Amino acid sequence: MKKLSRKTLNKSFLTWFYGNLTCFSQEHMQTFGYLCAMLPVVEELYDDKEKQKEAMHTYTAFFNTEPQIGTMVVGMTAGLEEAKANNQPIDGEAINGIRAGLMGPLAGIGDSMIVGTLIPILLGIGLGLSGGGNPLGAIFYIVVWNALMWFGMKFAYFKGYELGGKAVEILVGEQAKAIRDSIIMIGTIVMGAVAASWINIHTSLVLPGGGHLQKTLDGIYPKMLSGITVVFCWWLMTKKNISPTMVMLLLAIIAFVGVLAGFFNPGLSY
Amino acid sequence: MEINLFQAIILGICACLSSMPGLGGTTFGNYTLGRPLVAGLVVGLILGDVKTGIIIGAAIQVIYIALVTPGGTVSADVRAISYIGIPLAICAVKGMGLDPNTAQAQSMAAALGAAVGTLGTVLFYGTATMNLIWQHIGWKAVEKGDFKKLYLVDMGLPWISHIICSFLPTVIITMAGAGMVDIMKAYLPMDGIAMKTLFTVGSLLPAVGIAILLKQVVTKMIDFVTFFFGFTLAACLGLNLIAAAIIGSFFAVINYKIIMLQSKKTASASGPDNNDDDEEDI
Repeated sequence: MKKLSRKTLNKSFLTWFYGNLTCFSQEHMQTFGYLCAMLPVVEELYDDKEKQKEAMHTYTAFFNTEPQIGTMVVGMTAGLEEAKANNQPIDGEAINGIRAGLMGPLAGIGDSMIVGTLIPILLGIGLGLSGGGNPLGAIFYIVVWNALMWFGMKFAYFKGYELGGKAVEILVGEQAKAIRDSIIMIGTIVMGAVAASWINIHTSLVLPGGGHLQKTLDGIYPKMLSGITVVFCWWLMTKKNISPTMVMLLLAIIAFVGVLAGFFNPGLSY
Repeated sequence: MEINLFQAIILGICACLSSMPGLGGTTFGNYTLGRPLVAGLVVGLILGDVKTGIIIGAAIQVIYIALVTPGGTVSADVRAISYIGIPLAICAVKGMGLDPNTAQAQSMAAALGAAVGTLGTVLFYGTATMNLIWQHIGWKAVEKGDFKKLYLVDMGLPWISHIICSFLPTVIITMAGAGMVDIMKAYLPMDGIAMKTLFTVGSLLPAVGIAILLKQVVTKMIDFVTFFFGFTLAACLGLNLIAAAIIGSFFAVINYKIIMLQSKKTASASGPDNNDDDEEDI
């Protein structure tokens, strides 16, 4: 009965943690990171060079997912490779099938939960702490994000190794969905606060009666122009399918026209 | 403000570590060093003005708060924004004599950061293409069973791509760019159309960053309710972001309980041991 040592698993985890995307190309995104992470595992399980080659061949297939959450897949395949080395009914093809089947769903969860929600919440709080040039915000982000990911990824790797194919249920089960839903809710509320605190769109237009339009707008709903601009950009991207870069260019045109019309004026001098 | 060779070299190394296929590892390189908020602190330390660095970094961060790269497609690359854009923005803000803490200085930084961000896309694809050469070496190694070479291919050789596509551009542009501010001052008056537009664009850009993020969670107008709840907390009630996050958590907990209750209800309703007696009592 072959059993992977803790040392080997740690080495495999660390290799993935550091090297998952270091040799990125459009053609084989995380393939080489994966190959390197599986190398200690394969070398410990098989003494014969030909068998090592055969096992490594499994991991030459294309792989790309959200690298943080994808750690679970690497741990899982370490567990599956161990089972295979112990002559259990599993082969390289089955391992690759599981890998390929998980890439997409995990990328979806990881991109929306980690990159699209957790990071913005942490950055949002960090921005809140950065007022007046305070380094606390950046330090908060560095410490909290890295601690969460280090322990989270380690947990995911070893949980994946322990559970093998069953690990997926943790991520896609009913409870996981409820948690995801709720965290996205925090994220959206924090983003609203970030938008109100960090977007400062003012008009310099003077109304015919002599009053400033900005003051009138503030009387109705503070930061109204900032809110409207966000919804407008969202509408362009979601409903009109315009790319972010094109939206930025469009805003440049709006700014130019607005300046000419006297709607915008930063009012600066050297 | 000048950036000397030594400072430019450290900026170049940071750019290598933080670029998309992060040499610092994705978690620490791309997602930590590469975030403009963190880069503001790092660049501030390198250039000797932490306070300005952080204010500028934070202003640029809002635009790139949701830099998701699904399937490796990039709209902007962090290395250029963080380690070319932020140093240049610091030089520009100081060179023009703006107070970094003003909305104007932050607009300036946002506009400069976004302009440099498009350059980052070119650098990104340059690095990724060059890595194909190392991967080619890797395939041969796998075929021959020369597995130790894989570590070199994954962790050593990509440095060459980064020296060419991250390190050198950062060093050259930051050193040359610092001197550009005087030329700008000489030829572009602050009250001219060009500069007015530049600052206005900068004030509009953070809205795009937030909108990119919302695109993932908001599909119809009604979904904006939670967003504007947070917006109102900050804009009308003046709450800071931590307070807003705590209030958000409160509603998230309620939401979680409701979803779990609903799923329990449907589970027991369809379950085989469904007890009818309870209903008769009512």
